[in-house]
Amino acid sequence: MDSRSDLSDPEVVARVLNGEQEAFGILIRRYEPGLLRYAARMLSSRDLAEDAVAEGLVRAYRHLASCRDPSRLRPWLYRIVANRCKSYLARRDAGDVSLEEAPPLADPVDNEAAVEQAEQMALVQRALATLSAEKREAFILKHVEGMSYEEMAVVTGERVPALKMRVHRAREALLQALEEHQ
Amino acid sequence: MNPIDPRVHQALDGEIPRDTLPPELRRQAERLEAVAALLAETPAIESVAARVMATVARPAPTRGRRLVRWFVTPHAIVLRMRPLWSVALAAGILFLAFFPVRETGPRLGQEEGVAQFVARFPDARSVAVVGSFNDWRPGSIPLEDVDHDGIWRASIVLPAGTHEYMFVVDGERWVADPLAGRYIEDDFGRENSLLIVRPTKR
Amino acid sequence: MKALGLLLLAVLPLSAQSVRARLEGRVPASSIVAIDSLVRVAAAENLPTEPLIQKAIEGGAKHVSGDRIVRAVELNLDQYRQAQALLVRAGDAPPVTPAEVAAVVSARKRGLGAPVVERIVAAVPDERRSSALHAVADLVGHRFDPDSATALILEAVRQGMHGLRLLDVSNAAILEIQRGRTRAEALAAIRRDLPNVAAAPAPARAAVQRARRPVAATGREPSGP
Repeated sequence: MDSRSDLSDPEVVARVLNGEQEAFGILIRRYEPGLLRYAARMLSSRDLAEDAVAEGLVRAYRHLASCRDPSRLRPWLYRIVANRCKSYLARRDAGDVSLEEAPPLADPVDNEAAVEQAEQMALVQRALATLSAEKREAFILKHVEGMSYEEMAVVTGERVPALKMRVHRAREALLQALEEHQ
Repeated sequence: MNPIDPRVHQALDGEIPRDTLPPELRRQAERLEAVAALLAETPAIESVAARVMATVARPAPTRGRRLVRWFVTPHAIVLRMRPLWSVALAAGILFLAFFPVRETGPRLGQEEGVAQFVARFPDARSVAVVGSFNDWRPGSIPLEDVDHDGIWRASIVLPAGTHEYMFVVDGERWVADPLAGRYIEDDFGRENSLLIVRPTKR
Repeated sequence: MKALGLLLLAVLPLSAQSVRARLEGRVPASSIVAIDSLVRVAAAENLPTEPLIQKAIEGGAKHVSGDRIVRAVELNLDQYRQAQALLVRAGDAPPVTPAEVAAVVSARKRGLGAPVVERIVAAVPDERRSSALHAVADLVGHRFDPDSATALILEAVRQGMHGLRLLDVSNAAILEIQRGRTRAEALAAIRRDLPNVAAAPAPARAAVQRARRPVAATGREPSGP
């Protein structure tokens, strides 16, 4: 493994800004899995998630110097990818791009437990898709990406009390959707 | 939409312990957590790392790049040369092959290291680093913005150990380094950035 | 011994002069006498003197008034005395050196409480202490609980780590929270890995090659670690 992956975020940012372009790869390795997961859950599409994350990371690289607090790089990156996701969702509303309505089918599985898990996942994804984009984002950031309300504030630009309320509403809507889909 | 009992929210936000919930409410909290756990599984999506790195490595062509392109594109080049010059040229190439150019850069002592300063000041006319290592003398260690992108850099040999510093922008504005990660009270109502230089082995 | 005494007599007034000479033009003239006498008091009490001179010059460079500069130097002198007392209280082996005092004051200014510093002083021998204090201060600066941060670094010391390696431990824990782990998870993960925490990488070759020496470098000894 690249020994430089043990640098802290501000150190990696300093190296990238100092002309070590390849050091940006460390940040990609560090945050890409979470960003892809976030985008996939937001957009219900692998292809669009890849596009949103790739575009977001390129944008992050180009504007890296404007990240005011590099010790909080993670929520800053999520903010950029979240904005890409929002623009895809807006284009879907306008009919520019088509999203897969149903979540992708699970790979063929021969194990009963895996089948059940795949079914559960499909159910959860359908329930999640019924939430408004704002609520879906709030639930994912809080419970899937494990962010604090303060980090969520950096991602969304909203204030903490508003986000808390949004997470509460998201939990309620999700429980209800799960009951209806069951 | 059915409101959830506020205690479920409190438990999920870590404000009250989970086991204080009555069984029915605990089931709701667990249901939501199970959903989160399912969604937290990493989806099978290909990495976009190669795509991103290829894009960022493709800057707008600069003069240097155009020159490189000229060199790698086939051209017909005719050289007319007296045999004597071709012998001299061959001797020169041989000399370079046997006496390669030495590694450049400063010789570092055992207790010295390299500190890299980077800062973004898009509208600055000058940026300098001042600190305990240069007797707080503004201007003695200027940062450079060679390509005029607003990012100022300096790579400086310093004694290994702890140093306090700040940036001075346009000779008058004192600013802490946002990339420092370590800060210390300066006793004048602000904070200095703190740098720990490790000895660099070459 | 007599010769040493004579030598000291010859050197002392000179160094007092050199303090004034260094302050000349760097701090308001009206404050030089007061700063000089504070530096001499520090020397007599075996407390750090160079950081006091630096603090005064720093204030002058920042265009702070003479009064405030003198107050800052007084405050530092007072903090040195408190640090000296703390070191004695925590059982530091005498004599208490200026470098040890400076390390404690630096840690206190970075936000470590006296009980935490005392705990580290009592547990870590002098030459390792400065890095241990910085490592704990790094963690506390990233909102780790001071007691858990101290426990992690002292555990690293117990396992034979010292010097800059202790900063690798705090760096590793900070990296874990940047990757999205909670502070408790980060501490547990790093504690499990001890003492096999990755070492800080060397600066890039290109950065070393283009490094230059500061023109006005003073060449004075910096404080540890």
